[in-house]
Amino acid sequence: MTLQPLSARRYACTVLFWLALWLLVAAAALVLGARVWVWESSAQLGDALRDALYGVATASVVGGALALAGLAFQALLRNPLASPYILGVSGGASLGVILSSLFVSVLLQPIFGFLGALVTVGTVYTIAQRRGRLEPYTLLLSGVILNAFYAALIMLTMSLVKPETRGDIAYWMMGNVSRFDLQWGLVGLVAVLAVGAAVVFAFLAKGFNLIAVGEETAGALGVRVDRVRHVTFVVASLVTGAAVALTGPIGFVGLIVPHLLRMLLGPDHRRLVPASFFFGATFLVLANLATGLLEGAVAPFPPPPVGVLTAMCGGPFFVYLLRTRWRRTAEVQ
Amino acid sequence: MRVAGLALLGLALGCSEPEPASPAGPGTPGGERPLRILSLTPNITEILFAMGLGDKVVGRSTCCNEPPEARALPVVGDTLHMNLNQVIALKPTLAFMITGREEVARGLESRGVRTVMLESDTLPEMFDSIRIIGRETGREDAAGSLVARIETDLAAVRRRVAGLARRRVLFAFPMTVGSARIMVAGRGTFVDALLEVAGAENAYPDRANWPTVSPQKVIAAAPDVILVHAVGDEGAPDRLEAIRRAWAEWTSIPAVAAGRVHILTEPYLTIPGPRVGLAAERLAETIHPQLQERSP
Repeated sequence: MTLQPLSARRYACTVLFWLALWLLVAAAALVLGARVWVWESSAQLGDALRDALYGVATASVVGGALALAGLAFQALLRNPLASPYILGVSGGASLGVILSSLFVSVLLQPIFGFLGALVTVGTVYTIAQRRGRLEPYTLLLSGVILNAFYAALIMLTMSLVKPETRGDIAYWMMGNVSRFDLQWGLVGLVAVLAVGAAVVFAFLAKGFNLIAVGEETAGALGVRVDRVRHVTFVVASLVTGAAVALTGPIGFVGLIVPHLLRMLLGPDHRRLVPASFFFGATFLVLANLATGLLEGAVAPFPPPPVGVLTAMCGGPFFVYLLRTRWRRTAEVQ
Repeated sequence: MRVAGLALLGLALGCSEPEPASPAGPGTPGGERPLRILSLTPNITEILFAMGLGDKVVGRSTCCNEPPEARALPVVGDTLHMNLNQVIALKPTLAFMITGREEVARGLESRGVRTVMLESDTLPEMFDSIRIIGRETGREDAAGSLVARIETDLAAVRRRVAGLARRRVLFAFPMTVGSARIMVAGRGTFVDALLEVAGAENAYPDRANWPTVSPQKVIAAAPDVILVHAVGDEGAPDRLEAIRRAWAEWTSIPAVAAGRVHILTEPYLTIPGPRVGLAAERLAETIHPQLQERSP
C-alpha cells in the first residue's frame, strides 16, 4: 500500500468539504428540530431554538469524539472492527460515570468516565498482546468479555439502588443527546477535548499510516510506535470517557463513520482524521434528527433515544464488515 | 372420560387442602376468621387507618409509610418483589393491591388470601375504592363518613378559591437523568381534579393519565404556574437547585418569567387517599399566594 503525497490544497479541500457538510446538516437540524414555523412569539422561538441547539451541539461533539476514537483504535490496533463500543471502552466509561454519580459526585463524572475508559483500554491491550503482537480475534473477544463483565457490574449496581434510580440508569444506558436540564458546561468540555483530539490525531496521522503497514516497518522508518500508541490510547480514552459522561454510551458511531469514510476517501489517515471528526458530528446530528422526527409519528410513544437508533443501524453494519472487509484483510495477513 | 378424570382430580386436590379457600366475600363480612389485612398500596394503607382499621392491618408494602403508625408494621416487599414466605407467616385473610398485577393477585388467592384490586387514579375511582374497602371489611359506615369528610374538605377549598382568577398550572415531576422528557399530570388524573378544586386549570389537558413530554411541549403549553413535585428529593438540596436551574432556562414560559416555578416535596400531594383535601389546600395556597395572607 503506497500513499500519494498529500498537497495542502487537497487537504484543505477535504477539511472544508466535511466542515461544510456538517454546517449544512446542523443548520437543517436546528430549523427542523426547533420546528421554527409553529411558534407564536419570538421568546418561544428562542426557547425552542435553544432546545434544538443543545441537541445539535451535543450530538456534534459526541459524534465527532466517538468517530475519532474509533478511527484511532482501528489504526493503532490494526483491526477494522475496533471501536469504543465494541472494545468495552464505552462500557468501562459508563461504569465509571454511574459509580461517580452515585457515590462520589456528579461533577467528577467525566474524570471517572476517563478512568473507566483508560483501565479498559489497558486491560484489552494486555489480554490481546502476545510477544509484542496484537491478535485480532483475541482483541475483539477480550472486548466482548469486558463488556459482559461491565454489564454485570452495572447490573449489580442497579440491583442495589432505589427503583427510581434504577430506571434513571437504565434509560441513561440507552444513550440520549437531548435533556431537560441543559449542561452547557459539559458540552463545552467535550467540545474542547474533541477538537484537541482531532489536532493531536492530525499530527499522528502519518504515524497511523505507517503503523497500518506494519509496526516493524513503522519502527524502521522512524515512528516511535510505543509513544504514538500511548498518546493515542490516552487521548481516545479521554474523549470517550467525557462523551459518555455527557450522553451515556452511544454505540457504533465509532465503527460506522470511519468505515464509510475509508470507502470514500481511501486509507490515508491525514484525510481520515478531519473527515471522521466532522462526519461523526454530522452522522449523530442526523440520527438525532431522525429520532426527533419520530415524535408524533409513533404517538403516544415517546421517540427512542438516539443510542437505540445507532445500535440498530450498527448491528447489521458490523455483520456486513465481518462478512466482507475484515475477512479480506485477515486473509491478506 | 378424561374430562371426568380431571374433574375428580381437581376435587381431590380441593378436598386435601387443609384450609378450604372459602374467602370472606362481600356477603360474609369478616367471616368466622378474624380480619387480618395486607395492604400493598400506600393510599390504601392510609385509607384503612383513616377508617379506624389500623389495628387490623398485619402487613404493608415497602412504599406504605403513612400514617406514621403504619411504619411499625412488617414489610412484605412491593407488588414487584414480594416475599411470599413473609406473607404466609403473617396469615392475612384479606389483601388490597393496585390493579394490573393479576399474577400477584392469583398467587395470593391460591394461598387462601382474598385479594381485592383497587384503582385510584381518578377522584371517583378513589371514592369507589373507599366504598369497596368498606364493603370488604364490613365497615360501610366508616367508609361513608370518610367519603363525606373528604368531600367536605374539598368543598372548603373550593369556597376559598371562589372568585379568584383561574391560573393555568402545569403539575410536573422532576427531570430524569439522561432524558429530555418530563412526566406531567394529564387529563383525568386525580391531580388534574385537585387542580380544578384548587382554582386552577391544567395546562396540559392534551393527553390523559401521566404523559411524558418534551421541552417544546412545555414551551407550547405556556403555563402561568409550574408545580414540580420532587418527592423523595427533600434531602438533596443540590438536586432541588438543579431542578430550579433546569427550569430557569426556558424563559419564554410565563411561569418561569414570573418566578412562579414552585418545587413541592410533600409526598401526600400525589397519594389519592384521606389527605387529598389537604393536598388541594396546599395546591390552592401555592397557586394563589394571596390565600396565605388571608388565612389566620
